[in-house]
Amino acid sequence: MAMRARQKIRAPRTGFASRGTDGFESNWNDLASSLRRIHTKDASELSFEQLYRNSYNIVLIQRGDELYERTKQLEKEWLCEQVQKRVVAGISSSLLLAKEVVDKQDQASERRAAGERFLAVLKEVWEDHQLCMQMITDVLMYLDRVVAADPRKVSIFSAAMALFRDHVLRSPIEPEGQTTVADVFKSTVLFMIQLERSGHMIDRPLIRHCVYMLEGLYETAAEEESSKLYLTSFELDFLKTSTAFYQAEGQRLLETADAANFCASASARIIEEGERCFSTLSPLSEPKIKEVLDNELIRKVLPEVINLKGTGVRVMLDNDRLDSLAKIYTLSARVDPKKSHLTAAVQKRVIELGREINAASVALAQAPAPSKSTTADAGGQKKDKEKEKPINQLTTSAIKWVDDILALKNKFDGILGKAFQKDQVLLSAITASFSDFINSTPRCSEFLSLFFDENLKKGIKGKTDDDVDTLLETGITLLRYIKDKDLFEAYYKKHLSRRLLMKRSVSMDVERQMISRMKVEVGNQFTQRLEAMFKDMTISEDLTGSYKQYVQKMGDPDQRRVDLDINVLTSTMWPMEVMSNTREDQVELPCIFPKEVEIVKQSFEKFYLSKHSGRKLSWQPSMGTADIRATFQRSNGKTQRHELNVSTYAMIILLLFNEVPAGGSFTFEEIQAHTRIPDNDLIRNLQSLAVAPKTRVLKKDPMSKDVKPTDKFFFNNEFQSPFMKVRIGVVSGSANKVENQDQRKETEKKMSEERGASIEAAVVRIMKQRKNLVHSNLIGEVLSQLSTRFVPDVNMVKKRIESLIDREYLERISEEPPTYGYVA
Amino acid sequence: MGDKAVLRKDQLEISLRNEQELIKEGTIIDDNPLDLSEPFRELCEACRKGDLKLCQEKITAGVNINARDSYDYTPLILASLCGHYEVAQLLLESGSLCERDTFQGERCLYNALNDRIRNLLLQYDYSKSTDPLQPLAAHTASLLVREQPKTSDLEVTAGDETLYLHKFVLAARSPYFQQKLEGAPEITTWKLPSAIPPQAFGTAIKYLYLGEPPRDLRSGPGTGFTESEVFAGIDKIAKYLEISTLVDSIIDSGDRRLARQRRTIEIARGRDQLEEWFRANILRNKTVLDTSKVCDVKWDHNNPIFADVLLQADELPEDVKLRSDEDGNRAGLPIGPIGSSSTIQQVQESTLFPCHRAMLLRSEFFQTMFNSPFREAQMKEHLHIIPVDCSPDVLEIVLTFLYTERADFPLDIAVDVLFAADMLFIEKLKTKAAIVISTLGSGSMSQAEAARIRGNEEDDLDIYAIIRAAWMTRVQRLEEFAARYLAYRLEAHIDSPEFAELIQESASRIKGRQETDSIELLDDIRFYLSERFRLRFDDAGIEEMMEEPPQQEIIANNAVGEDVEKVTSGIEAFDISQDKPTHINGDRLPEPPVPNQQDRMPVIMTLNGEVAGDESTKDAINHDILLGRLDQILESLNLDA
Repeated sequence: MAMRARQKIRAPRTGFASRGTDGFESNWNDLASSLRRIHTKDASELSFEQLYRNSYNIVLIQRGDELYERTKQLEKEWLCEQVQKRVVAGISSSLLLAKEVVDKQDQASERRAAGERFLAVLKEVWEDHQLCMQMITDVLMYLDRVVAADPRKVSIFSAAMALFRDHVLRSPIEPEGQTTVADVFKSTVLFMIQLERSGHMIDRPLIRHCVYMLEGLYETAAEEESSKLYLTSFELDFLKTSTAFYQAEGQRLLETADAANFCASASARIIEEGERCFSTLSPLSEPKIKEVLDNELIRKVLPEVINLKGTGVRVMLDNDRLDSLAKIYTLSARVDPKKSHLTAAVQKRVIELGREINAASVALAQAPAPSKSTTADAGGQKKDKEKEKPINQLTTSAIKWVDDILALKNKFDGILGKAFQKDQVLLSAITASFSDFINSTPRCSEFLSLFFDENLKKGIKGKTDDDVDTLLETGITLLRYIKDKDLFEAYYKKHLSRRLLMKRSVSMDVERQMISRMKVEVGNQFTQRLEAMFKDMTISEDLTGSYKQYVQKMGDPDQRRVDLDINVLTSTMWPMEVMSNTREDQVELPCIFPKEVEIVKQSFEKFYLSKHSGRKLSWQPSMGTADIRATFQRSNGKTQRHELNVSTYAMIILLLFNEVPAGGSFTFEEIQAHTRIPDNDLIRNLQSLAVAPKTRVLKKDPMSKDVKPTDKFFFNNEFQSPFMKVRIGVVSGSANKVENQDQRKETEKKMSEERGASIEAAVVRIMKQRKNLVHSNLIGEVLSQLSTRFVPDVNMVKKRIESLIDREYLERISEEPPTYGYVA
Repeated sequence: MGDKAVLRKDQLEISLRNEQELIKEGTIIDDNPLDLSEPFRELCEACRKGDLKLCQEKITAGVNINARDSYDYTPLILASLCGHYEVAQLLLESGSLCERDTFQGERCLYNALNDRIRNLLLQYDYSKSTDPLQPLAAHTASLLVREQPKTSDLEVTAGDETLYLHKFVLAARSPYFQQKLEGAPEITTWKLPSAIPPQAFGTAIKYLYLGEPPRDLRSGPGTGFTESEVFAGIDKIAKYLEISTLVDSIIDSGDRRLARQRRTIEIARGRDQLEEWFRANILRNKTVLDTSKVCDVKWDHNNPIFADVLLQADELPEDVKLRSDEDGNRAGLPIGPIGSSSTIQQVQESTLFPCHRAMLLRSEFFQTMFNSPFREAQMKEHLHIIPVDCSPDVLEIVLTFLYTERADFPLDIAVDVLFAADMLFIEKLKTKAAIVISTLGSGSMSQAEAARIRGNEEDDLDIYAIIRAAWMTRVQRLEEFAARYLAYRLEAHIDSPEFAELIQESASRIKGRQETDSIELLDDIRFYLSERFRLRFDDAGIEEMMEEPPQQEIIANNAVGEDVEKVTSGIEAFDISQDKPTHINGDRLPEPPVPNQQDRMPVIMTLNGEVAGDESTKDAINHDILLGRLDQILESLNLDA
């Protein structure tokens, strides 16, 4: 053996190569007796350093494995001989006998006391074991360090915990018996929980401590989270008993048949179980027990609860039981992100209420005028008053309808916000339901437009900007529900034109605001024409101004010239036919203006055409108004002047009387002959001039409400009015009202023409882009393109396609599947 | 620094220039100052050559490893450029800076000879290469908030809160406290004069405990003091406690680099104060006495150096020259007693070090001890005497490290320190010991080369003992070092029975060894063997040259091979007849191979001399031969690998 000089390096003092009786036994004996003293809680005099050195020495002579095994053996013996016996002694017979929940109170309390005793023993034993093992681990720190390098071994602490699991928890309570300590523990804890669920107090911390034990123990040596003893041996049974319990609970609650009560107790149970997991069991179980609750208490029972008669969602909605609804919502949300049952119930109720509103509006419209249909058919033939009434009624009912819907909407918005946490699913469901029942009223577009009209004319007077804002906003939301937006547009246009021309709008600002809101909501295309109308109005103002300048420059000597305010309207943008009340089959001759007016008219035409050559001006006297000054020769010789604001037609009629001597008269036919005013308008104007009680500028003979061709009209010099300025409205035609059947048909016809054009445009647009397309795809695309404006009828689309093929825009290129090609 | 995006070149130049101006002004200290001294030049030279031992010596001697030479090279750049992995590692571990986003740091990275070094440098990016004193500072600061175990011995009531302080820290860091406590070491409570705002006192204490300077002074509404009051209080208390630098540490911590630098200096000062105090009090108060009389020593808790525990280290039996029973068992060890002939009866002596638990806690061993419910953790009337199983010298090194973070010790007790550090769970000291052994032991060059460089001085370190120590203390680095050491001197070791025994041991370290398992030590040796010779192959483009001589070699090898076969078969015959192969190796192996070796080496030498006439060819052949010899050993040990 070569000996080398070792001045520089000193070899470690502890031996490593030598094996055998190199102090292992003596070290171990010291250690073993000390470990026992630790177990018997007699460690205070032990020296850490000494014990550590013992184990260190053993590891250093490479006998760490032996030390590891012997320590394990020592622990095992201790656990088997001492601890296990102590635990078993703590089990009293009452814990073993009663397996099922005891019905007798005294038996239960006896079992409970025994259980608490047993759990206390178990807890103490476990805590002792942990404490001792902590100390032992400290002492064997160096061993652990070396063992840690060996992946096949677990630390001595874990090993000792595993021993506890095997030799205490899993030991039979009587030799050769099947029941283990863990079984007894499990049934005891479950019993306790059952007690607590039925309202008794139990020792929560005690159970929690025992559960800590199960959480600290693992099935395998690797100690993965999933192999916790708590999860593997306790939780499953806990969930099972809970499932059974809540099944029964769910049935019991259903039998009481009170939805609010159910919600309250279900919510309470959920909170209670969550709390239990934290205070008594393990937080690990929380999601699982909640799942059980969700399943047993909510998923299976809630649908029935929602539909409970007398207490279900319907009643809650009707009575604004927000807190109950909120509870139902949270419960539903737990189990179903779509909350389908709740949604269905809410939807159903919305539609029901909506139908009621629809029905109410129909009833209101029809109730006082059962003869409505005949009235409408007869048109102008019937007497004014009779005709007027149902239409007014209809208008009010339309506005009431919108108000009702808004109220309903408000109510559900409130519920959605306060009880349903603004849930998106419910929001869209409610929206869909609203849209459904609103569109089930064929006149919804008209009604809504009327509503706007009403508000823009009168409703917003004296309201603050904020109020106006909300009003517009709610109106717009209703617009959102309406499917046939083009129809709405048509009505709105019509109503708007009247407002603009008659200057009936309260505020142009609000009008413009309204348009921009609609633009945001429905899109540019929709508001294009409406905006053009506004544009026409401004251009016309300029035009009037420059015309006045033009007249001044001309230096017209006639100072009594008639002042002219003119609105030049682009015929394609404005609903002309609506305004002029013409029948297509009647060739209308332009009415004859009085001389003074005729001069102005011609002068303006000259002026305008010099500016814009090639345009055609057609005059719409039915839409205009005029201010005239009338002088009334009283019988007492006095004269009274009034300024009358009348329609253009009325002005023409009144001017007629300038040319007859005082007391002279015209018959209806004479007037007609002189003026060529259309029958309808003439009747209406005469009615307002001669029949309306406060504005009787003309006298009529005979004095009746109807205007007959033979009636005579005189100038009424006895006209009385407290005001200097008198406004004489035309009986009808100027106010925006619900259309009668005929007008409706008219509108619909026009609408369907317009729609046809839109559909064709869409088809061509799509085909131009795609060149070839299968029929079904084409239909789909058309529908989606047009859906913002209206819901096209599929048959109509088909017809339009046919027509396009006929006109050789498209061609059929295949029959199976039917495919079209674009013809360039 | 890290939160900025990559700088453009011009921006970089501007910031470099600004930095230089600041350095000129003296506001900040250059990380890499110019150093033209002779020791630094030597260090640079050693880094170029890869001379680990010299590097370690220079570092220990205190040469600034972050300085630069006249060409702006830092030692780390040189080591990285010249491809000396071990040197670079040593430099980094000793605190060489290699920060991303600094000029020198990036230069280091770009200069790295190979990816291995580059990755090493990246590993030590600045998060790791922070102040090496940081652990000490962190520990001291943590004493203020640590609740278990109780180590404080002074309660100071400041305002409505109570601070639990350590007299020794106060005494070491503040001359005021030193005086005051020396006069009355027994006081346990102290009330703060009401003139001083508690916040100011808290700040001062934090400063004394080497904590991070506070971000704000906890003044303002609700505290009852305005900022200026607190500030004035701090100023006052700084004068009161005679800690003049306190105020500096608080104001102007805006510039991060400046703040860091100031903190580095502050911690260094703190360390120096602790060290001074440690030497003046603890080391001066260590007592040497007969082991048997140790238990009579009674230290009161109220001692002038505030110690709360006594550590006892017994003199080594070798030193005592007295053999206890336990030592008798180790008679068979390879470590023989030195001068065992002198048997003068002497009494074993022990050294007692008065210590503070607070500092001992830095060792996991003591931490566990003081946290456990065992005797050591209980408070008694007199101080506990805790024996520590190492020599007094080693214990002193351990304590010095715990108190001051200093770990300078010679090679000759490095292994002892390694064991002590392992036993006491002081990882850093363990690493340090491993560094000392592996650098001063210098395994980088073959014996011949080492001798050439440093004369013929040969480090006689017991490599076998070291490798076993490495195994026992699980220090991978030392295992590698030993393998390398052996690889470079394999000729000298390969025939020794101890070597075979070592291989056998290495093999047996894998429990339940399979045939396919390799022997770790042997693998390492093979790796370093190839490293040792490959250096040459690559340079000379030897492969072409190697094509010519193979025939002769084969003949030569065959001839040798036959010889070897005979020898090994003889050994195998022994194997069958004997139970313990190790025994055979020990007894038999040395004799047959020695003549064999002598026969063979000259043959090869002559062969080479004639055919190739090239040293590198010789190396290649030597490499093969050595590998072959290793296989023989394996065979003879009945190991497959």
